[in-house]
Amino acid sequence: MIELNATLLAQVLNFLILAGLLRAFAYKPVVRMLKKRQDTIAANINRADADAAAAQATLKEYQDKLNSAREQAQQIVDEASRRAAEERARKLKETQTEIDRMKKAAKAEIERDHERAEEQLRKEVVELSIAAASKIISKNIKTEDNERLVGDFLSRVDKKKIGDFSC
Amino acid sequence: MHEIGVREIVTYAGLTFNWETLCMTWLTMAIVLFISIIATRNMKLVPSGWQNVVEIIVNWLHTQASVTMGKRGEFLEPFVLSLFLFLIVSNWLGLVPTLASPTNDLNTTLGLALLVIVMVHMLGFHFKGGAYLKHFFQPVAPFVIINAIEEVAKPITLSFRLFGNILAGEILIIILLKLMPIWMPIPSVVWLAFSIFIGGVQAFIFTMLSMAYLAVAVKDEHEDA
Repeated sequence: MIELNATLLAQVLNFLILAGLLRAFAYKPVVRMLKKRQDTIAANINRADADAAAAQATLKEYQDKLNSAREQAQQIVDEASRRAAEERARKLKETQTEIDRMKKAAKAEIERDHERAEEQLRKEVVELSIAAASKIISKNIKTEDNERLVGDFLSRVDKKKIGDFSC
Repeated sequence: MHEIGVREIVTYAGLTFNWETLCMTWLTMAIVLFISIIATRNMKLVPSGWQNVVEIIVNWLHTQASVTMGKRGEFLEPFVLSLFLFLIVSNWLGLVPTLASPTNDLNTTLGLALLVIVMVHMLGFHFKGGAYLKHFFQPVAPFVIINAIEEVAKPITLSFRLFGNILAGEILIIILLKLMPIWMPIPSVVWLAFSIFIGGVQAFIFTMLSMAYLAVAVKDEHEDA
């Protein structure tokens, strides 16, 4: 039952052949695949890291841009409100001047009207006086007296006393 | 076919071969190769199905090998893997009716054990040179006798353990089938199940011991495991 013969050598040879074949056809593909997977995963991790860094950089860039844009906007708003304030002050001043000018013009107009009215009044007074005088003359008053009366009257119709009349 | 103790002998070029053992070995080799190639072809980067199992086995072996044998032991991984696959298929082959285990022949087990031991000594001398020879004389010179006995015992224990277990299992299956009437299959089935377990365990033991012996020769003592 237990006898050693050339089978022993044959079995060693058989096993070595099997080991060689397995190594070539089964072990190598598995190891190669595992290696490939390891490499792929490592590459993916590296790429992910790089992507994250790039994303971070982009984010920072955009944040910077946003900040500068905000600053610019603030500047623009400040400038606009400053200009608006200036404009308002300028307009206010202009309006004030206009109002002053109009006031002055209105005053002058009033004065002119006043003068015109005074002149008118004076003329009417003269006419009325003459009419009155004519009536008196017609009641036989001397010419000298007549002239004195008229002159008297006229001197009383003075600029300063014009206010007493109701025009 | 299963006449215990009688082997079919073939003589070729003045050498005697056990024909059944050889045939069964070739069958085993074919099965191992077929399974391995089927399992490892079409490997994908994202594993699925069988590929997961294959990868778990290879990864487990890789971890075991690097823990026991260190960095220099990596090139022995396919050898160890082949050993395990060959032995487990061999051991289970004998459980199929009309077939026999190649490992029920001492020629097979002793052949493999001697192959392992020769590799151990060659690799040890190759990697460590004089230091390897010196370790037989540790801790003191007279220990060389005990060490020598140990070295001789290694292939003998390795081969006889496997051979005895498998042969006994097969013999008992035949005996049980002959003793028990066909309507009482329970003892045979139980023994068959136990033999499946024994076949796996023996393949595992043979492989792990071989790896441990190889580790002594290959592993760098200064290397952190």
